[in-house]
Amino acid sequence: MCLGIPAKVVKIEESNFGKVDYLGTKVKTNLSLIEDVKIGDWVIVHAGFAISKLNEEEAKETLFMLRELASQQATENKKNNVEARRNNQKQRI
Amino acid sequence: MQEFRDKRVIQALLAELEKKTRALPSSIRIMEVCGTHTMTVHRYGLKKLLENIGVEMISGPGCPVCITPNEIHEAAIELVTKKKNFILTTFGDMTRVPSRKGSLQTAVPASGSVVKIVYSPEESLEQARSNPEKNVVFFGVGFETTIPTIALTVREAFFEGLTNFSILSALWLIPPPLKAIVEAKEIAIDGFLYPGHVSTIIGEKPYQFIAEDYGIPGAIAGFEPSDMLLGLSSILDQIHQGKAMVSNEYSRVVRPTGNPKALAVMEEMLETKDAYWRGLGLIPLSGLKLKKKYSNYDAESKFNLNIKGGSGDLPGCRCGEVLQGVISPPQCSLFAKKCNPNSPYGPCMVSFEGACFVHYKYNRGLK
Ligand code: SF4
Repeated sequence: MCLGIPAKVVKIEESNFGKVDYLGTKVKTNLSLIEDVKIGDWVIVHAGFAISKLNEEEAKETLFMLRELASQQATENKKNNVEARRNNQKQRI
Repeated sequence: MQEFRDKRVIQALLAELEKKTRALPSSIRIMEVCGTHTMTVHRYGLKKLLENIGVEMISGPGCPVCITPNEIHEAAIELVTKKKNFILTTFGDMTRVPSRKGSLQTAVPASGSVVKIVYSPEESLEQARSNPEKNVVFFGVGFETTIPTIALTVREAFFEGLTNFSILSALWLIPPPLKAIVEAKEIAIDGFLYPGHVSTIIGEKPYQFIAEDYGIPGAIAGFEPSDMLLGLSSILDQIHQGKAMVSNEYSRVVRPTGNPKALAVMEEMLETKDAYWRGLGLIPLSGLKLKKKYSNYDAESKFNLNIKGGSGDLPGCRCGEVLQGVISPPQCSLFAKKCNPNSPYGPCMVSFEGACFVHYKYNRGLK
């Protein structure tokens, strides 16, 4: 029910309506619940209404943090693997 | 968006979480308030993965189709079966909820009447405009995410002077049931994962009392798996630091003060009322209804529907207990037997975010 779909605004009409592009499909959307919407903005669409504008800065920041975390983890895993192998070898010796 | 589902990212987040849970004396229990979170938890297999590292996820009351009590469904069925020339519009899931009077799908409408599924409340207005000789009633259900869209639709009808349009409302607020769940003390909850899209509308403040008055940590989270894990990570940090707050881990969509335009239209059109929830009973100031000025648009007063609250589940169905987080779906003896997605016996099996449906779909066979 509270599903919201991120989509890009591609058309704004006078009557508070517009069109958003969702995975290539253009859908008529009511834009009157959000402020200062521009073509190219990403919005969250729910039940035919845009309910929020996506803050691209914040999105980038979160993604950056996630990527950092993933690469840190990868390094840690590598380290652990090397250690495990060493331990293994030691045991065999 | 794909990156929020990236396997490596999810694994890294889980490893982070494990480090944090390892330092805790016992496992912890987090309630995911929203049904869409329940979907994410099961769809990406997080339920088991989290259990393995000491985090038990339980579903909360955040499925509007599920918590709408039978008496309101029955009032909708009454309308369309007893009154001629009615068009009852509603979201798809609502038509499949079984009540003591059957469901909207099985009901036989009176002559000239019909049930129509809509995707947006505005489609009901279209129906009213193009069928001036009929009464159009929108059976509107939803939380704060959906409520502004319904309020705005009624506002449009009011200013347009449409007299054949009204709403049968099942509009629910999220913070009051959380308070009810905490106060009932039936289950100990170590943290709340707050719903992302409800928060888009209401912001952070309405959950503050849970941190301040009850000392329970919480985080607002989005619906991608990594969003949810970020939320959990923040809750664990709060537990470690011995503090409780409302952290916003969905800042790309949720502003601290919510959506002012949506809040304004809710304020303009609606007022709070005490309301019955399935499973949770009567909760003070947990529902919304149209203000008196708009009573011509309120189907309940317009058609003198006498809706009496507190009817409970159909015999045998334990959806109410599932919604309180007291039992998990497989503990219902009808689960996956008499009750399944093809022939749901209770609303928790109807909705895509109903805990019983989600359990059936993603972990049947698992204990
Ligand atoms: S499995 Fe069906 S009958 Fe049992 S609680 Fe869930 S919805 Fe109700």
